[in-house]
Amino acid sequence: MNREEAVKIVMSMLEKNVDGLEMSEDKMDKTLVDLGVDSLDVMLVIMDVGEATGVEITDDQAEELDTPEKIVEFVTKQ
Amino acid sequence: MTNTVTKGPAMLGIQSIASYLPRGRVDNLEQADWFETDREFVEQKIGVSTLPRFEAEDSVVSASVSAFKSLCEKESVDPAEIECVVLCTQNPDNGGLPHNSALVHAELGLSEDCACFDIGLGCSGYVYGLSVIQSFMAANDMKKGLLFTCDPYSKILNPEDKNTCLLFGDAASVTLISDTPRYTLSSAKFATKGAGSEALQKNDNLLEMNGRAVFNFALQDVPKQIKRVLENAELKMENVDLFLLHQGSRFMLENTIKRAGIPAEKAPIKLSNTGNTISSSIPLLLEKELDNNPGAILMSGFGVGLSWATAIYTQVK
Repeated sequence: MNREEAVKIVMSMLEKNVDGLEMSEDKMDKTLVDLGVDSLDVMLVIMDVGEATGVEITDDQAEELDTPEKIVEFVTKQ
Repeated sequence: MTNTVTKGPAMLGIQSIASYLPRGRVDNLEQADWFETDREFVEQKIGVSTLPRFEAEDSVVSASVSAFKSLCEKESVDPAEIECVVLCTQNPDNGGLPHNSALVHAELGLSEDCACFDIGLGCSGYVYGLSVIQSFMAANDMKKGLLFTCDPYSKILNPEDKNTCLLFGDAASVTLISDTPRYTLSSAKFATKGAGSEALQKNDNLLEMNGRAVFNFALQDVPKQIKRVLENAELKMENVDLFLLHQGSRFMLENTIKRAGIPAEKAPIKLSNTGNTISSSIPLLLEKELDNNPGAILMSGFGVGLSWATAIYTQVK
């Protein structure tokens, strides 16, 4: 999966699962906490990204993915 | 020549339900402050503002007996007719020796001609328990039985673990199974993922929960089972009047319901004043919902094991 596709998926899953969040490229390096994504939202976002990309993200791996950019990097490397 | 009369098995099912909530209460918003957790998160995402908690005088047996007394206020129950008592818990009194159903048997003064046994299951326990007691009673030609649920997690909560302290409440329920049922079983599925059991376990007598693993399990496996049970019963979502899912947490429930494609108005979320009461969560809901006379009810319990069970019960016309 290329970066462009991954960015699109990650952004759309964040917006889908977090009320009021509007994503843009300049927010990719912000932490999920700073974007208002709480610990439960994160679980949903990671699950949806995993299903949309076909990439399995384990619990331990998910713990490290604390910015949208890190999620994108993770799924593009698989 | 002797004439033999062939007697078919009695149609057994759910006749009535009653419950017990201990008087002790924990203000979950005050707990949230103590754990430095956002109050809005606790109310909106966990969905619990008050937690019933066992007090010093409460026990699995006393709570079960109280639930039975409540049952007797709404149904005419003759203790002498009870032939089977099944109690579902994983936190029994006296470490489960003797089995707590025997202690309840003694407290209720039931007949010696009464089978009693406990079953050890968590949040799938009610759906399993219904099937177990009905099967056992049918196999042994019994007509009246009691299924209790009571799993006081307060006994094993780690006071420093906010993920579990903010979630679990104590309660008990009793379901009267009889040959004059209001609801009978139509279809059920049972499943286990033992390899994932570390997600919910007791370690050094304290509960440990991997919230992410439980969440993934609930959202990915439960909707599939619900769909399979519906297919097996040749029913569609619109044919079911009520979906009673284990009340794990508001966020988990909302998303499980969404993923299963269940119309939200048919799937009550009512854990604000009870929290997650393990195997009692479905009967607590069902007790209230029976007043509305739903025609077909789907129940799905999921948790410790990892174990999940889904069943459809239909109203006897």
